[in-house]
Amino acid sequence: MNSAVMRKTMYYFVLPALLFYCLFWIIPILKLFQYSVTDYNGYVQKFNYVGFDNFKNLFQSEILGLSIKNTLIYTFITVVLGNIIALALAFLLNANIRAKGFYRSAFYIPTLFSAIVVGFIWSYVYMPDEGLIASFLNKIGITGFDTNFLGSYSKALYSIIAVDIWKNIGTSTIIFLAGLQTVPHDLIEAGKIDGAGRWKLVRFIKIPMLATSITINVTLSVINGLKAFDYPFIMTNGGPGTSTNTLIFAMYKMAFTDQQFGKASALGIISFALIIAITAIFVFTLNRREVSA
Amino acid sequence: MNPGSLMKRSLTHVAIIALVFVNLVPLLIILSSSLRSPKNMTNPLNWFNEFTLESFKSAFTRMHFPTALWNSAVLTVVSVVFVVLLAAMAAYPMARIRGRLSRFLYIFFLSGLVVPGQMVLIPIIQMIKGVGIPMNQYTPILMFITCSLPFSTFLYTGFIRSSVPEEIEEAAHIDGAGLFRRFWQIVFPLILPVTVSVVITQGVWIWNDYFFNMVFITKALDAPLPVAMLGFLGDQQNPAQWNVLFAACFLCALPLLLAFLALQKYFVGGLTVGSVKG
Repeated sequence: MNSAVMRKTMYYFVLPALLFYCLFWIIPILKLFQYSVTDYNGYVQKFNYVGFDNFKNLFQSEILGLSIKNTLIYTFITVVLGNIIALALAFLLNANIRAKGFYRSAFYIPTLFSAIVVGFIWSYVYMPDEGLIASFLNKIGITGFDTNFLGSYSKALYSIIAVDIWKNIGTSTIIFLAGLQTVPHDLIEAGKIDGAGRWKLVRFIKIPMLATSITINVTLSVINGLKAFDYPFIMTNGGPGTSTNTLIFAMYKMAFTDQQFGKASALGIISFALIIAITAIFVFTLNRREVSA
Repeated sequence: MNPGSLMKRSLTHVAIIALVFVNLVPLLIILSSSLRSPKNMTNPLNWFNEFTLESFKSAFTRMHFPTALWNSAVLTVVSVVFVVLLAAMAAYPMARIRGRLSRFLYIFFLSGLVVPGQMVLIPIIQMIKGVGIPMNQYTPILMFITCSLPFSTFLYTGFIRSSVPEEIEEAAHIDGAGLFRRFWQIVFPLILPVTVSVVITQGVWIWNDYFFNMVFITKALDAPLPVAMLGFLGDQQNPAQWNVLFAACFLCALPLLLAFLALQKYFVGGLTVGSVKG
């Protein structure tokens, strides 16, 4: 590298972005660490340091374990199911057929809707008795099935997970499709000549060639799942009971409804540690696989 | 074409159309309901049994559509312009200088991606008040810019590294171009594909965001489209209001749907710029 051309004065270019980023993102995050050991309520600028009481409190309460469990279920299902469906769709849409672009767009359309609109639409879909699913089941003569999806302790979480998958599937599909289109044709031909069947072509040529798209999609959906907030907030308000409390929703409620900002900050620190740890594990494993593939 | 492959193709089409239908059925039912008059309370499954714009009219006035549309446009355009400028500039040294500081900055920015905005909201509000920035309808722009930086710098850095050869800059350097001119006149035009990608990916989330807008915007006439939708919050449980609610849903989504129809190629291309390298 020519250091006369690529001089260190270039670093000045980072400054505007760095200023925004530190002021409105990094310093607030650091503040969270401070508040996590106080009894700050979020409004009155007067608070006491209470040591690790907030953390102790949380570890003794039910909400911590519950919201971690919900978040992990949410993440696991959106990552696994979302990516498998998207991958299958991408293979299907990569077939040599007409109207490919039209179909692709059709799957992408839900992505363009604001989470708030998606929440409204799916609240109607899931509504007991009069909602889309309920009236459809009614019409085809299936009765006696409990259609109160969002009001049921056992079904609410899975119902909002389905909404998240529906909303995001278009993006993952497009990324997988783009990945598939970079698979060189000769490679497929060579595989065929060597006698590989359809499944072997997928397993040993297409999937490895998709490594980069898989890394991107899986990483983005892991982060998206761990940060889940929108649908508990818009559709269920965390309920019924606490059955759809994700970590971030539980934290938001603690801070703004219960006005326990100190405790919420402690929950934030725990979530933060969890999100970083899980994302790091994923990025690390996927990157290693990608190189060897 | 032999009959076997024709058969296979038709089956693929049938399978895809069935999937598309299942995928879009909620939207279709809602479109059909929004085209009914507000009083038409027949089962939504008897779809497209009436065509009138009455519900749309009512939603249009209730959500102050023209004002909300304008507010959304201002918030999105201003934010996206800043994101492009700041992120492209920040990415330049991160892509060009190989060293500890540059590597640190790259990871420092990227790691912001995992932090949810809901988590840091209160300290952010304190910070905004602390540096004396007024809280009004334009305050969310600060958050849109900040939250878009991690992903955008990531895209720009990767692209400059892989697709803008250093030799071009060396040539310009020999011709006497300074750092500033080199960046704006040579590098910036060459990274247009990422700029398109940033405009689309970040533009869509900013346009659709309700959270930061909801926190900072208190006056109804300052609200962008997603926040205007919050005014319908009580109606989702009330079937008597559904037709108007669904019309509002479509009005809210309409601008992006139209943009997507017109710029499909860029939307699809923009999503994949950073993702197929390697």
